[in-house]
Amino acid sequence: MYDWDLDAVTDNWMVFVDGALVTIQLTLFSFAIAVVLGLLIALARLSPSRLIRMPATVYVEIFRSTPALVQLVWIYYALPIITGLRIDGFTAVGLGLGLHTAAYFGEIFRGGILSIDRGQIDAGKSVGMVYHQLMRQIILPQAVRRMIPPFMNETASLIKLTTLGSVLAVYELLHASNVLITSTYRPLEVYTAIAVVFGIMIYPLIYASRLLERYWGAGTQR
Amino acid sequence: MTMPDDAQSRPMFRIRNLHKSYGSLEVLKGVSLDVRPGEVMVIVGPSGSGKSTMLRCLNFLEEYEKGEVYFDGGLVGYVDGAGGRRVRDRERNIAEMRAHMGMVFQHFHLWPHKTVLQNVIEGLIVVKKTDRAVAMARGLEVLRLVGLEEKRDAYPNLLSGGQMQRAAIARALAMEPKAMLFDEPTSSLDPELVGEVLDVMRSLARNAESLSHGTTMVVVTHEMGFAREVADRVVMMDGGVIVEEGPPEQILRNPTHPRTRAFISKVLH
Ligand SMILES: Nc1ncnc2c1ncn2[C@@H]1O[C@H](COP(=O)(O)OP(=O)(O)O)[C@@H](O)[C@H]1O
Ligand SMILES: [Mg+2]
Repeated sequence: MYDWDLDAVTDNWMVFVDGALVTIQLTLFSFAIAVVLGLLIALARLSPSRLIRMPATVYVEIFRSTPALVQLVWIYYALPIITGLRIDGFTAVGLGLGLHTAAYFGEIFRGGILSIDRGQIDAGKSVGMVYHQLMRQIILPQAVRRMIPPFMNETASLIKLTTLGSVLAVYELLHASNVLITSTYRPLEVYTAIAVVFGIMIYPLIYASRLLERYWGAGTQR
Repeated sequence: MTMPDDAQSRPMFRIRNLHKSYGSLEVLKGVSLDVRPGEVMVIVGPSGSGKSTMLRCLNFLEEYEKGEVYFDGGLVGYVDGAGGRRVRDRERNIAEMRAHMGMVFQHFHLWPHKTVLQNVIEGLIVVKKTDRAVAMARGLEVLRLVGLEEKRDAYPNLLSGGQMQRAAIARALAMEPKAMLFDEPTSSLDPELVGEVLDVMRSLARNAESLSHGTTMVVVTHEMGFAREVADRVVMMDGGVIVEEGPPEQILRNPTHPRTRAFISKVLH
């Protein structure tokens, strides 16, 4: 029977708090990039102009068909060589995961917008609405409800992906734990503890998503 | 619109040699038709004959390649561009023109995330920038007209088909359109709900109280009783052309064209 030494965790609880703070900062940083860029990608991919659609499509395909880790190390090691711009690990990971997640968010937004029945738009046009009014009043309010579940999933993925920062020595949860293990020699306890910390951060998102779905499902519309 | 001719003699719609294709499929093959202000024009014809497409060209939900559609004197959807070629008008101008035409669809297309009253006043508030209180008053007025005042706060999914279609008519009417386009407004309704929608349309055709003049109506329908009673003229379409047009008694009782005869007898039996 393994002899658990929880002191290795409780004595070092600050390490988890510090790690979690960096994880949260990374997530927020990437999330902000991904939401804004994702929306632009979705609108570009829905554009009637091929010239606008094409680059967005290429972007999405590149980021979806290569591993996130490769994207991060590429940004960290290769980008400085090309641009001459040195960036620290945190920026590289935040930016990389933002660009990565933007591709997925973009597809979620696009899918949500496309899922709106064409008749809804015809009805809006026939009272005289222009593009931004249709988006704002008719399409997005309905599309957002359908986007929420995949969007929450992807956000949960983003939080998990921040652990890739450990490869670039960013002091997020996993890296913080690895450092802690070198001094405590207690990988089982420490890794179990970070699993719990991630669970505490991610589960509420999944739960909130379910609540929202139920609220919208039961309330006002089909 | 500052046309010299007076609004009375000018047609509400003037359709000239209208052509429309989807890819290689030519759906409208040269349609010409005038609709006078206040006139109720009923369009009949077999499925696939291009009725919906023609209606959707009137408010430019579909672009047309050849020919012209004039609405209240103005060309719909296009302006003169460089080198004598016409180009698509600016979106804002097209939208502005659409705001003067109401459209009612076979499948209602109410906005499910808005209540009945919100559906009705949305265009007033967003497009016409009407003051909210004024829009509400106008919204309740048209809901009364279609007999749905007590459903003002209901969401569309709680309404019957007939109520949904009346709400959709109210939504179009709220904008005080010069013309109303109806695309098979009763075709997706259970038979027992058809009457309530036709009643509303009938009252519109006969100078509904809120409107200064009888509404100009272009109605695609298979309801021959409605056509006989309300229409000023009936147009028979087949294969992307108008095969016959005239007063309802003539088209519905004594059609001259064999295809009209075949169609009418099929619908009536
Ligand atoms: N968006 C579209 N794309 C391709 N073909 C279409 C489209 N809309 C209609 N059509 C075709 O155009 C023809 C006329 O359709 P429509 O105007 O809907 O006829 P109707 O309303 O008289 O039944 C049909 O053959 C139909 O299949
Ligand atoms: Mg049709």
